[in-house]
Amino acid sequence: MTRRCRRSAAPFGREATHDRKTHGSERDSKGSGALIASVRRLAVIAAASVVVAGTLSATATRPLPSTRAMSATPAVPQRIMSMNLCTDQLVLALADRQQIAGLTRNATDPGMSDQAAAAQGLPVLRNSAEQILAIDPDLVVGMPASSSPVLAAVAPQRYPLLDLETANRLDQIYRTIDETAAAVGHPVRGAALIAGMKRDLATLPRLGRGRVAAYYQRRGYMTGTGTLVDDMMTRVGLTNLAKTLGKPPLSQFSLEEMVAARPDFLIVERATNVVDDQGSEMLHHPALSDIPRIVVQEAWTVCGSPAYTRAAHSIAAQIARHDRAVR
Amino acid sequence: MSHWLPRPLLIGALTTLAVIAGLASLLFGAVDLSLDRLVAAASGDGDHIASIILFDLRLPRTLLALAVGAMLGLAGAALQGYLRNPLAEPSVLGTSNAAALGAVAAIYFGLAPLHPAVLPGLAIGCALLSLGLLFLLAGDAESPLTLILAGLAVATLAGAGISLALNLSPNPFAAMEIMTWLLGSLENRSFDHVWIALPCIAIGTAMLLWNGRALDALTLGEDAAQALGADLKRTRRRLLLGTAIGVGGAVAVSGAIGFVGLIVPHLIRPLTDRSPSAILLPSALGGAALLTLADLGVRIIPSTNELKLGVVTAFLGVPIFLIHLMRERRLW
Repeated sequence: MTRRCRRSAAPFGREATHDRKTHGSERDSKGSGALIASVRRLAVIAAASVVVAGTLSATATRPLPSTRAMSATPAVPQRIMSMNLCTDQLVLALADRQQIAGLTRNATDPGMSDQAAAAQGLPVLRNSAEQILAIDPDLVVGMPASSSPVLAAVAPQRYPLLDLETANRLDQIYRTIDETAAAVGHPVRGAALIAGMKRDLATLPRLGRGRVAAYYQRRGYMTGTGTLVDDMMTRVGLTNLAKTLGKPPLSQFSLEEMVAARPDFLIVERATNVVDDQGSEMLHHPALSDIPRIVVQEAWTVCGSPAYTRAAHSIAAQIARHDRAVR
Repeated sequence: MSHWLPRPLLIGALTTLAVIAGLASLLFGAVDLSLDRLVAAASGDGDHIASIILFDLRLPRTLLALAVGAMLGLAGAALQGYLRNPLAEPSVLGTSNAAALGAVAAIYFGLAPLHPAVLPGLAIGCALLSLGLLFLLAGDAESPLTLILAGLAVATLAGAGISLALNLSPNPFAAMEIMTWLLGSLENRSFDHVWIALPCIAIGTAMLLWNGRALDALTLGEDAAQALGADLKRTRRRLLLGTAIGVGGAVAVSGAIGFVGLIVPHLIRPLTDRSPSAILLPSALGGAALLTLADLGVRIIPSTNELKLGVVTAFLGVPIFLIHLMRERRLW
């Protein structure tokens, strides 16, 4: 568990810089008049007041017993805030509804969030530091939470953070579930969820038989290796076209190149089935019309989440349907 | 400046250039296909992949580059002749941006699927509106710069309208789309797009080519032109409609491609007797060749993201624009 509770070192740091500054001005002021001396005095006074203020605010704003947050069996947090669409999924799956104090604004969008229905009615954050202050969360979950610029604006050391890694593989998904479950105070739920996923995946047929598939996104972006989608493709027995061509995790692949590469399947996102702009229009170009398609929901693939099993089963089922139709 | 060519020779040379550009555009692309494979595909007994690339991807793109380029070149030549202003052309006057605004409105608010005519219709309507606004603002002004400044205002307004429309549309990928519409691109076009653009461009071209004699008469001034029997009202109406229909149809599929209409007539003019009618057809041919070559450049220049057409044409067009602006400075 990578739970962090960082203490503020700022007042001392600030003091140190001011010290250096005053020494510096001392050196520069050799041979100069009273003006510089008074500036120096001012600087010293300023430095002193900063130290005083810093100490005051540190004592005032550090009522949070860091020992509790750091201990092995934390109290169950009651105001959990999620900073990221992917952590929204985990918090919604693992925490009690009344524990959740804030989700990101995409959490309620069924096109992107697999738990959109569960998220309905829960408070949605608008990426504003003021809201965080008002909520005063007792657990902030992010991927990672400590790099959030919004949180940085409101002194993150005030809140216990749970930094999760981005899950691009199944084992990472299990790990994030495990860590989140422990942090929100429901480790048994997490273990049950992981066991359920393992059972689900044990029945997943490997129908791909090494055939080549390309995950093709709007504007011709193709998903490569080291990604969640690549992990899913491998699990159902498909070979990622980007891997055979040695492409990076995300590359732009023109229609012409796709026609020439001729993969056995194109995997596309369901949202692009509707042509509503030039970016999705290209995926419906007649030149691609004779490559069989597998359609997945973006909400299942955008995050490494419990929805992984549904996405994998959906891909396998569509391969099976295609194989039956061909035969 | 009198190295002008006999007209049949000029037209022949420009046609050859356009045909060469078109062939080159069919030969080169993201995938290297050997000449043999392409020839086999063209004659109907090639492999499946080569024929899809040739007929579904490269051919519509080439046809659109030729047609859109011809339209923009011709519109530039006609507008420069009619307004007697060397800086007039669809993108400088804001017509292209306005047409793109119409297309954006049709696509992003879900109107385009209602009927195939909605997309070009809205683009043409907005182009017409912008030309009307322009003539209202600067139609009778003495200084040619007034017109350009009014055009700049219209273009900026329409460009801002595109951004706003995309910001208001439910599309989360608006930033990328805004860029495509403002800079123009012929990437990933299909024959559906050809069928949208081609009829509009054909009508627009016909209406603009019609004006040759009236434009020549106009070089003597409006009174003299009327005395020579030119019907200026009709000429103006044909010119406005022709530009709006042609440019509107072109922009609806390619986005606003700048400066083609500005550069081409200036490149062509020294090769002719400099009368407005003499540069109309050559400008269309030259525009077709130029845009097709620019589109070829877009594909050949190695870049991770495909360059936008407007970038290439702006690099060609801005120097010419500046030279003329400097010459006009005495009129400020």
